[in-house]
Amino acid sequence: MFGLIDGNNFYVSCERAFDPTLIGKPVIVLSNNDGCAIARSAEAKALGIKMGDVWHLSKHKPEYRGVIAKSSNYALYGDMSRRVFEVLSESFARVEPYSIDEMFVDLTEFARADYCRRVRERIRRVTKIPTCVGIGPTKTLAKLANKHAKTASGVSDFSDLDVRREAFATMPINEIWGIGRASQAKLNNFGIFTVEQFAALTSASVRKLMTVTGQRTHAELNGVSCLPLALAPSQRQTVAVTRMFGRLVETWEDMREALAAHASRAAEKCRNHGLVANAMVVFFHTHPHNGDPWYHGQRSFEIEPTSDSFALIRQAVRAGRSMWRPNTRYAKAGVILLDLKSARDMPRDLLPTADTVRSEKLMAALDAVNNRFGSGTLRPGGIRQVTPWSTRAANRSPRYTTRLSDLMEVRA
Amino acid sequence: MGARAYKGDETTGFQSPAQDHVEAVPDLADLLELRRPQRYAVRVKGEGLRSRGIHGGDILVVNTDAEPRTGKVCVAFLLGDVVLAVLSEKDGQWWLEPANHPAQPVSDHTEVWAMVAALVRTDV
Repeated sequence: MFGLIDGNNFYVSCERAFDPTLIGKPVIVLSNNDGCAIARSAEAKALGIKMGDVWHLSKHKPEYRGVIAKSSNYALYGDMSRRVFEVLSESFARVEPYSIDEMFVDLTEFARADYCRRVRERIRRVTKIPTCVGIGPTKTLAKLANKHAKTASGVSDFSDLDVRREAFATMPINEIWGIGRASQAKLNNFGIFTVEQFAALTSASVRKLMTVTGQRTHAELNGVSCLPLALAPSQRQTVAVTRMFGRLVETWEDMREALAAHASRAAEKCRNHGLVANAMVVFFHTHPHNGDPWYHGQRSFEIEPTSDSFALIRQAVRAGRSMWRPNTRYAKAGVILLDLKSARDMPRDLLPTADTVRSEKLMAALDAVNNRFGSGTLRPGGIRQVTPWSTRAANRSPRYTTRLSDLMEVRA
Repeated sequence: MGARAYKGDETTGFQSPAQDHVEAVPDLADLLELRRPQRYAVRVKGEGLRSRGIHGGDILVVNTDAEPRTGKVCVAFLLGDVVLAVLSEKDGQWWLEPANHPAQPVSDHTEVWAMVAALVRTDV
């Protein structure tokens, strides 16, 4: 038996946990660079704000006058996600963090809705985050039950066949985990709109329509568990660091610095996972919608396997230089590391062009300092802390739970 | 890159008798249980609770999972503000007594956010 617990409007709930002035108000959280709405309070949803709305285009509507738009504060959301995970780990034998705001739990020993209800109350008390819980004999059913819980009392138990049958009759197929827009359109064409109709199909016809993945989803909906709990994420295949600029970048100095910073951050992520990169993609492009002529420069190339910041920066900057076009205003740049391999499994090159032992020691020292004193404390030369191209985050709340300088203030 | 940090163990001349006994400095995050999900650090503004030994600028470590108890100091959401208050119970009704405000009954518009569990002062 599986449970799926997710935080309601998770980012907004994290903000509200530390700021009582946000309670009861329409609040949204914006994506990186203050672009689109990525989380909405119930009040904001009621006003008609949609997921992905570009805020600077819609904020002038009179009905949005009272909306509070926060910049995203991932240091806070990450720490609150950790707290939710810890509370769950105290209550369940096994917990799979599926995303920052969704966790699967193993309910084999506690297949009881009232136990989940108590855990839900405890999460609320400890982290201030309201949650919904779905219970089911498969992950897909637990996820669907979780959707159902949003409109019910916060906990839905699809291990109960009667509850399931009643819910299936009215739930649309796009609520099913793993059924995307393409599958939905296909199924709708065949007159299949509800979960009930989809579950009633034969396995063979589902396979014909939607390949083996759809067949698995179909089996899971009918109570046959195909997806076990995953306790560790699978090994990363790529590391991507791409950013919209806070303002358009026009000089090579700014672009060089941005590429160096992205390469440096990508290298750090690589090392965190004990991986080395064998190939790299570097790109930048102009703004797609501001009327400037479109230019998109991109280079993909193999590199000597490494996770050394300096080596990767050199490569990224060299590639950037080769496709740099002056008198152009750039809106976005990115560095992507590909073909990642475990550093331990890499054969040592007979004639390496770099001193790998020295590099490993230097990188270990760099990471140790940044871990201890905060990321960005030690930076490869030429990357400033605050830069003209830095991402915009005009209304970010304090990092309440991770920085002593940002603690919540209590008045006495 | 220069020498490694010397921790009292690896010496160049005489072998350190402490070699197998070096320990790290005590970890205050452990003492304060800062890694537990219900523990949060907050910063005090104002001198209204000096009588309870709490000064402005102090860091309080609070517990969101502790039972409320009469006479204990808590962090509360009160009228859109985050305040320190003394909790009390009279005839089954809980009351918040903030330093600079009249007492308020705990209701739908107030929230006892956490109970104060520990205090850190760095400017003694």
